[in-house]
Amino acid sequence: MTKILEGIRVFDLTIAAVGPWATKLLGALGADVIKVEAPGGDRLSHAVPPMIKGNSVLYISANHNKRMIELDLKKEVDRAIALKIIEKSDVFVQNMRPGAVERLGLGYDVVAKINPRMIYVAASAYGRIGPMAGEAGIDPTVQAFCGWCGITGPEHGRGEMFRHLAHLDITTATTITQAILQALIARERMGRGQLIEIEMLTAAMALQTTRLAEYFATGEQPTPLGSAAATTAPHQAFECEDHRYIAIGVERDEQWLGFCRALKLAELIADPRFATNPLRVMHRAELIPILAGRFKTKPSAWWMIRLNKEKVPNGPFLTFEELRSHPQVLANGHIVEIDTPHWGRMHVDGLPWKFERTMAGPIRAGGKPGQHTAEVLRELGIIDDRGTGVSK
Amino acid sequence: MSNAGSLDGFRVIDFTQGLCGPFCTMQVGDGGAEVIKIEPPAGDFARRMGPPFIGDESAVYLSLNRNKKSVVLDLETSSGREAAARLARDADILVEDFGPGAAVNIGLGYDQLRSANPKLIHCSITPFGEDGPLRDAPGSELVVQAMAEYTASLGRIGDPPVRVGADIASLNTGVFAAQAILAALFHRLRTGEGQRVAVSEFGALLHMRGIMWHSMSDPDDWYGFHLDHYTNPPDYGYQTKNGSLYFILRRGNSEDWDRLVMSLGMEEVLADPRFDDYGRAATSIGRYATEVKPIWEKAFENRTREEIIDLVNSVGGDAVPMMDYPSLLAHPQVAALDAIAEIDHPTAGRFKTVRPVARFSETHNSIRMPPPTLGQHTEEVLRAAGIRVPKS
Repeated sequence: MTKILEGIRVFDLTIAAVGPWATKLLGALGADVIKVEAPGGDRLSHAVPPMIKGNSVLYISANHNKRMIELDLKKEVDRAIALKIIEKSDVFVQNMRPGAVERLGLGYDVVAKINPRMIYVAASAYGRIGPMAGEAGIDPTVQAFCGWCGITGPEHGRGEMFRHLAHLDITTATTITQAILQALIARERMGRGQLIEIEMLTAAMALQTTRLAEYFATGEQPTPLGSAAATTAPHQAFECEDHRYIAIGVERDEQWLGFCRALKLAELIADPRFATNPLRVMHRAELIPILAGRFKTKPSAWWMIRLNKEKVPNGPFLTFEELRSHPQVLANGHIVEIDTPHWGRMHVDGLPWKFERTMAGPIRAGGKPGQHTAEVLRELGIIDDRGTGVSK
Repeated sequence: MSNAGSLDGFRVIDFTQGLCGPFCTMQVGDGGAEVIKIEPPAGDFARRMGPPFIGDESAVYLSLNRNKKSVVLDLETSSGREAAARLARDADILVEDFGPGAAVNIGLGYDQLRSANPKLIHCSITPFGEDGPLRDAPGSELVVQAMAEYTASLGRIGDPPVRVGADIASLNTGVFAAQAILAALFHRLRTGEGQRVAVSEFGALLHMRGIMWHSMSDPDDWYGFHLDHYTNPPDYGYQTKNGSLYFILRRGNSEDWDRLVMSLGMEEVLADPRFDDYGRAATSIGRYATEVKPIWEKAFENRTREEIIDLVNSVGGDAVPMMDYPSLLAHPQVAALDAIAEIDHPTAGRFKTVRPVARFSETHNSIRMPPPTLGQHTEEVLRAAGIRVPKS
C-alpha cells in the first residue's frame, strides 16, 4: 500500500509541542520529516518533565515518525547544509517567536527564493502584527488570554484552566497539518508553494466558535456550567445511587423521548415545559432537579443499561487504567502499545484517521537528538565536511 | 494575488448534523469547495441548539455553516434517497455521520457509490470508531469528553465533574476529518484514486491526550504537569489586587531575576531551591509551580495586574491577563489579527464569527456565503442536477 505523503520531504524547524505535533502527523501520512535541532535542542522540548530514561515525554511523544538531525544554524557551514536540505524539501515548518527565524536567515523570502515550490508555515502564539507581535506564548498563557477559562468550571464557580496544558498546542498543531494539506493540493494544481501563517490565539478562538457565538448573540459572558452544555439539555453528568457519575447527552428530539422512557418518567414527555430542546434549555432549573433526584434512586449500571436500550448517549467517566485495556480503544487503535529503541514499551496516541486504500503509520518512535544526522546527509548527497574543518 | 481558493471547483455532499461534521465541511468550504448540506425536512438539529437564537437560527448553527448551500431531502423516502445518491454521483467528497454501516442502509455506502463515482472520497464520522463493542453507540460532547477522561484535568477530586467549556470532542474531530479528506484528495490528485476515510470523536480526543499515555507508560518519577494535573487543585491563574493573570519565567538571567525578586519583595525565595535557575521550575509548567503559587500570590496581593504583567515582561517572562470574552474581544491584538469576521444573513441579519484560522499568501480561505436558511438551495441544486424537485 502506498502512503499519501510518500515523496514529500519536510524541513522541520519546530520546537516545543505546536510545531512538532503538526509534523508528526505528516510523518504518519508518509512524509519524510527531517527534524532539525540545534545542538542541545530547545529547552521546552527537552526539559519538561516527566522523563522516561532521561528524555522528556514531550520530546518523545511529539516526534514520532521523524528523523532527527542536529545543525547549529548560527554557524555558516551548518546553515549551508540546511539550505541544501531546504532545496530538496517540500514543506518548511517553524514555530519560533516571530523574528527569530529571520535572524537565522531562514525567513520565507529567503526560502522561497531557493525553492519556490516550498510550502512554508510560520506558526506563532499571537502573530507578527499588532501590539503583541513577537510575544512568545505557550499553551497555558494562550489559555488564559483566549477566554476559554471563563467558560470552564463548576456551576456558579470560578473559571479555571484545563490543567493538561497541551490541548491548545495540539489544536494549533492539527490546524497547521490541515493547512499544509490544503497547500499541497494547491501546489499540485497551480505548481507553486506559498506562505501559511497560523496563530495559536486564532486557533483557540476557532475552537470556541460555538461558545463565542453565544456571546455575540447575547452580549453576555457565558458562565461555567460544571458538566452541563449551554445550548442542549439535559446534557450533563448525574450522580447515581452508587455515587458514580454518568455522562448524559440529549441533543436530538428523539433522544428526549428515549431518555424519558429509560428513566421511567413518561410524564415528562407530555410536559409542555420540556417539549423541545429550546424549552428544556429555558426551563433547565426546573428540569434538572427532577432528573437528578431520579438518578439518585438506582446505581449507574442500571441507568446505563436502560439508556443504552433507548439509544440515549451516555457513558462512564473513565481513567487511563481503564482506557488502555478498553475493548473499544483496542479495537480501533485509539491508544496503541509500541516498542521503542530507547524508552522501552510504551502506550502512545493512535492515529486519528483511517484510510481504506493508503497506509497511515505505523507509528515509530523518533530518535534521540542528532541520531540521524549522518544518515540524512548521506542520503541527500550532502557532504558533511564539518569534522575536517574545511568548508565546502 | 488572486482570490482563488485551494479547493475551488470541488463539490462536497454533506449529510452531517450537529457540530462535528458541520465544522469539518465548513472548513472545506472556506477553502473554496462548493458544500451542499443535505438536511432532513426538520433541518439540522443544531438549528434548535439554543437559546440563544438570532432571528430563527441558533447562534450555534450560524457559527458552523457558512459557505454552504442547504438542500432538504427526506432520506426516509425512496425519492429522497435516490436524489441523494444522484448528487453523490457527481460529488468529489461525501461526508456522513449516520453511524457505522448506516449509510449502506440508505444507499449511500462507499461500495454502493464507488462504481458510479470511482473518484469519490467518502468520509465517515462516528462517536467511538467503526469497530469494537461501542461502534453503534450514540455519542455526545460530554459523553466523549467523559470517556476520554478530559474531565480528570478539571475541578477537584470528589466534586461533581467539570467539562471543558468549548465543544472540543466535536470541533477538534472536525479538524481531523478535514485532514483526512484533504489527504485523500491530495492522493487522488496524484493517482486518480478515490477512497473511504473515517474518523471518530473518541479517537480524536484520545489522540490529543497522547502525551499522557506516554507519560504513564513508565515514567522515571511521578511529577511534571502531564501527570500532576490529575491530582492538582483547580488552577485559576495568579490572583492580583485587581484580577488574575498567568505567567511563565523561562529565559532568566541573574540581573533580571534579582530585579524581579527585589521589586516584588520576595527576597526569601533566593534561598529556596524550588526557585533555582531564575524561577524556571516555580511557575506555569514548572515542577514546583503549584506548591509555590501562594508565595507569588502573596507578593501580588497589593499590586495591580497591569503592574505585574509589565514587570514580568520586562524581565523576559511571558505574562498575560486571564480574560473573559468581553475583554478578549475588546483586545487590540484580536482586532490586529482580524480574528472576527462579520456575515450578513438573510433572516438573522449581521452577525459575528471567528474567521478561517490559516492565512495563505496565494490561495485564500474566504467567507463567500452566509449560512443557508433551511432548504434555501433545494430547487437550484436539484434542478441543476436534473433531479425532479420533490413537493414539500
